[in-house]
Amino acid sequence: MTQPVLSVRDIVAGYGEMTILNGTTFDVMPGTITTVIGPNGAGKSTVFKTIFGMLKARTGSIHFKGTDITNAPPRKLLALGLCYVPQGRNIFPELNVLSNLELGGIAASADVNIPQRIEAVLERFPVLRRKGQQQAGTLSGGEQKLLEIARSLLLDPQLMLIDEPSIGLSPMMVQEVFSIIKELRAKGVSVLMIEQNARSALEISDDGLVLELGRTRMQDRAQTLLNDPRVGQLFLGGVIEEKSA
Amino acid sequence: MMNFINLLMAGLATGAIYALVAIGFTLLWQTSQTINFAQGEFVMVPAFFVLAALNVGMPLPLALLVGLALSMLVLGVLFKRLLVDPMLRHGVLPLAICTMALSIFLKETVKEVYSAEASPFPSFLPGGNLNLLGATISIQSISIFVFAICAVVALQTFLTKTSTGRQMQATAQNPYVAKLLGVPVERMIMYTFLINAALVALASFLISPVYLAKFSAGETLGLAAFIAAIVGGFNQIRGAIVGGLLLGVIDNLAAAYISTQYRGAVPLFLLIAVILFRPQGLMGRAEERTV
Repeated sequence: MTQPVLSVRDIVAGYGEMTILNGTTFDVMPGTITTVIGPNGAGKSTVFKTIFGMLKARTGSIHFKGTDITNAPPRKLLALGLCYVPQGRNIFPELNVLSNLELGGIAASADVNIPQRIEAVLERFPVLRRKGQQQAGTLSGGEQKLLEIARSLLLDPQLMLIDEPSIGLSPMMVQEVFSIIKELRAKGVSVLMIEQNARSALEISDDGLVLELGRTRMQDRAQTLLNDPRVGQLFLGGVIEEKSA
Repeated sequence: MMNFINLLMAGLATGAIYALVAIGFTLLWQTSQTINFAQGEFVMVPAFFVLAALNVGMPLPLALLVGLALSMLVLGVLFKRLLVDPMLRHGVLPLAICTMALSIFLKETVKEVYSAEASPFPSFLPGGNLNLLGATISIQSISIFVFAICAVVALQTFLTKTSTGRQMQATAQNPYVAKLLGVPVERMIMYTFLINAALVALASFLISPVYLAKFSAGETLGLAAFIAAIVGGFNQIRGAIVGGLLLGVIDNLAAAYISTQYRGAVPLFLLIAVILFRPQGLMGRAEERTV
């Protein structure tokens, strides 16, 4: 049986006195897209922050490719091949686009050829090359998201955590972002995604995960979750029947 | 006319010094949310480090280096470790109040330990006057201006052209994301405190020969730097430069053409006007903040 690329076991974490994650457990299989859905406050973003070492896990363990990465700092995770694109705008608005991109290579180990990686990423995202000298704050919302994704690809990750990639983007840009995510999977990169647009996200996903009150309620094939009436009612707007009719 | 040019030159010289202090002020704010109300005293203190070093018989260049090193240690490292780090946990405002206390502490300490009198301070820049087409221009003003501007250019080059500089900018603009990318955020913040200490030391060495070294010298300087930072735009280095130069020139011209008595009021009028009509500052960008 294939080993999961990421394995999260019984994580308990939260902010101050407040506990958000209450024994979250799930796996991400290599080369798949896994979408996390769940109501507001279920702890979706908190899981990502905890995996990426921005929030301390009180108990439980997280393994990446068999290595224990529980509470490891971002720098180490990046070097191991994990990357994280948080929700919202995460660029440095006053720096130019190229400098923003280069900062994705800070955590690289000495044997990584950063200029070559930048060249490869610019090849994939020509708009960033064209606007390389502009202040990143002048890019459109969609271009800023592309910049963030491009920056996180600089270290050639094997697993990308991406939180609400489509929020605030135009429909065309959402398509673009989703196709990039599918393209990553085709290259063997695993993607763990949180997405408010749950239906579209599950449609391109292999696996799905339902979080509720900081616990894993269901983990199954994305297709199974899409067809599950409970999931449909809870998170997909209850329109499954109408659609299949 | 020649008088005007002289005043303008003197204004640019003091303005460039204000700019150095204001840049440090905005850098601290950007990277660590420190509003340093002791910034004026930070300019006053290094001159006394140098005077102390001169008193034990060191030559001026060595004394200046010792003054710079002590400033970076005391006003950089110790300031951050002993005051900012413990207080910032309680919020921006408690820290700001602590820096006010620090300003009083520094003033009184210098007064008690050294002297309440103003002390002359040697200049390391060429002095004298230049006769140009029958008019006299102060060489000191020109050299102060040129030296301060060179320091600013060097700092800007460091911040934009080196990887460490860009990591510092990243930390200032978005510390959370900087950390996500593996930028050693804590170290970058420490660098900012060291740079601020170096900037105030430099300002101290430039201005003390003109206005003498005195325990109370920081009062006007701190206010001027604060106003310059706000007028220029609190979140911009180039704003601090423009604000500083503008303030220096206006200050000098107002003293000569309006009244020396109202000299101190003019920068405050400028401050009020900017806050009323352009609250983000002349060069600043509006900041969104969740409250």
